[in-house]
Amino acid sequence: MIVTFWGHEFKVNLIIGCLGGFIIAIISSMFGFGGGPFMVPLMTVGLGLPMYVVVGSSLLAIFFNTLMGTMRHYQFGNFDLTLFLIMFPAAILGGFIAPQIAKRVSPLVVKRVAVAGLLILALNLLGVY
Amino acid sequence: MKRFLVVFGLIILAAVTAAIQDGAFAEKPKEAVTQQAQKTEASPAPEAAGAPTIQIDKTTLNNGGTIIVTGTAPAGKPVYLEIWSDKKVKASRFDAEKDKETGKRPYILYMTLEMPAYYKIFMPKEQKEQLDKFKKEGKKWSYSQALKDMGADIAYSSPAKAKIDRYQATLTGSIIGSRGELLPQMDDKENKKRSMQLIKARFRSPDKVFGTDVVTNPDGTYTAEIKIRKGVADGKYTIVAVADKNAKSQPVSFENTINFPNLYLSNAGTSLNLIGPFFLALGIAIFGVLMGAGGGFIMNPLLVMLWPLPHTIVAGTVMPTVLFSQASGIYNYSKIKFINWKLGVAIGLAMVVGGFIGPKMTEMITLDQFKFVFGWILIILAGLMFWQTTPGYIAKNKKEQAILKEFKSKAEASAKTKA
Repeated sequence: MIVTFWGHEFKVNLIIGCLGGFIIAIISSMFGFGGGPFMVPLMTVGLGLPMYVVVGSSLLAIFFNTLMGTMRHYQFGNFDLTLFLIMFPAAILGGFIAPQIAKRVSPLVVKRVAVAGLLILALNLLGVY
Repeated sequence: MKRFLVVFGLIILAAVTAAIQDGAFAEKPKEAVTQQAQKTEASPAPEAAGAPTIQIDKTTLNNGGTIIVTGTAPAGKPVYLEIWSDKKVKASRFDAEKDKETGKRPYILYMTLEMPAYYKIFMPKEQKEQLDKFKKEGKKWSYSQALKDMGADIAYSSPAKAKIDRYQATLTGSIIGSRGELLPQMDDKENKKRSMQLIKARFRSPDKVFGTDVVTNPDGTYTAEIKIRKGVADGKYTIVAVADKNAKSQPVSFENTINFPNLYLSNAGTSLNLIGPFFLALGIAIFGVLMGAGGGFIMNPLLVMLWPLPHTIVAGTVMPTVLFSQASGIYNYSKIKFINWKLGVAIGLAMVVGGFIGPKMTEMITLDQFKFVFGWILIILAGLMFWQTTPGYIAKNKKEQAILKEFKSKAEASAKTKA
């Protein structure tokens, strides 16, 4: 498939894109997260697209998955309204506060802290400690 | 932007009203509550000779507490107290274990909407050693074996009546995302057996469903200090004293109340102080934006680790919270023409199919499997994040970010001139 973006043409291998997207969608809807950090590498490394094409389009692709996943979870009765109403305002508020903090911290430091935090969490989940 | 906020507000309003009205296709355990309650009231306790008596010292508790149960039973007989809440929740278990006799895997999903949100059997304190043995077995313990070994099977009755549906899962069924074919109702004996497995799937550890607090005296009188832990369902609780299969006391009941900021989560079957999850969600949302990954990666494991929430509820509730931030992101990018619709929709269609299948698979795994797989996902994510901090990636990213910025300012400029 040929994709045109701001006057540039890109050749996209749709088989890799759709297969990868399909697998990421199953896992992310199964465990209830967005999947952006997996979609972006898939589209930049797997499909060879530059970052400026990927940021918006990957979000659109993920939105399809989140919408479907949400509907299915609701259908199966796995949605708790009270818990949602607790977390949703917090998530919105966080979205407003975060850009204020982002100006003051280096993204590199944040990423390193995130790596350490994720590993600690992962080892706990795997029952290592 | 203003217009967008209005639309956004309307969407939320619509979603909330839809959710409050409890859409026709959402499975709700509530109706089962009244039905079940009537059932228990309708069946009079058998007034057999030697039925124990029962009294409780208070009839209300506030978010858990201690209640003292006293009474008399035939001398020399151990007394078991069965206690359950009227509030019901969903419990499910996917049976894919090899049958010992035939060697085949059944692949049957057992599900009930009538599992008591709280269920526990208090046993004579002499059973403490036995119970410790089951606690030591870890995840592999068997609830039915525990009931039998500690003599508590005579008290097990309330969950046995829960209506359990069975679905035969097939590979093709899984691919199209269906639960499978609904199998005929089980007989009472089979239903009882399966309900025990669901108890374990729901409450997980032995100390959640067993206590050893009943002290019996030689003259047949007994006392028990029953501790109801914090964070359980509110509403009516019922206690029955059992000395024998046919010697059960009249049921007595008490009320557990919870006050704001504690709330009862009807689908999760637990009550919790909403301040904790609120600040956790806030902190993680901020950190998620900073590190460039959705908060769900950190939120979900922490929610199942810190609170007794089922993983199905956690996955199903966290997912919609990112829906709106994604929608606003798409809107902002589309304003500056930064979305390639052809590419996004093409991959999006493949992801819709994945999103159809995923939520069903959440139901089929246990909490331990959920944690295990999630652990590995986080390790992969940590690897990806680490790769993004390596010098090679940073150099490449710097160039790309510069191009991205340039395009963005171009796009914004052209959007402005048009408007």
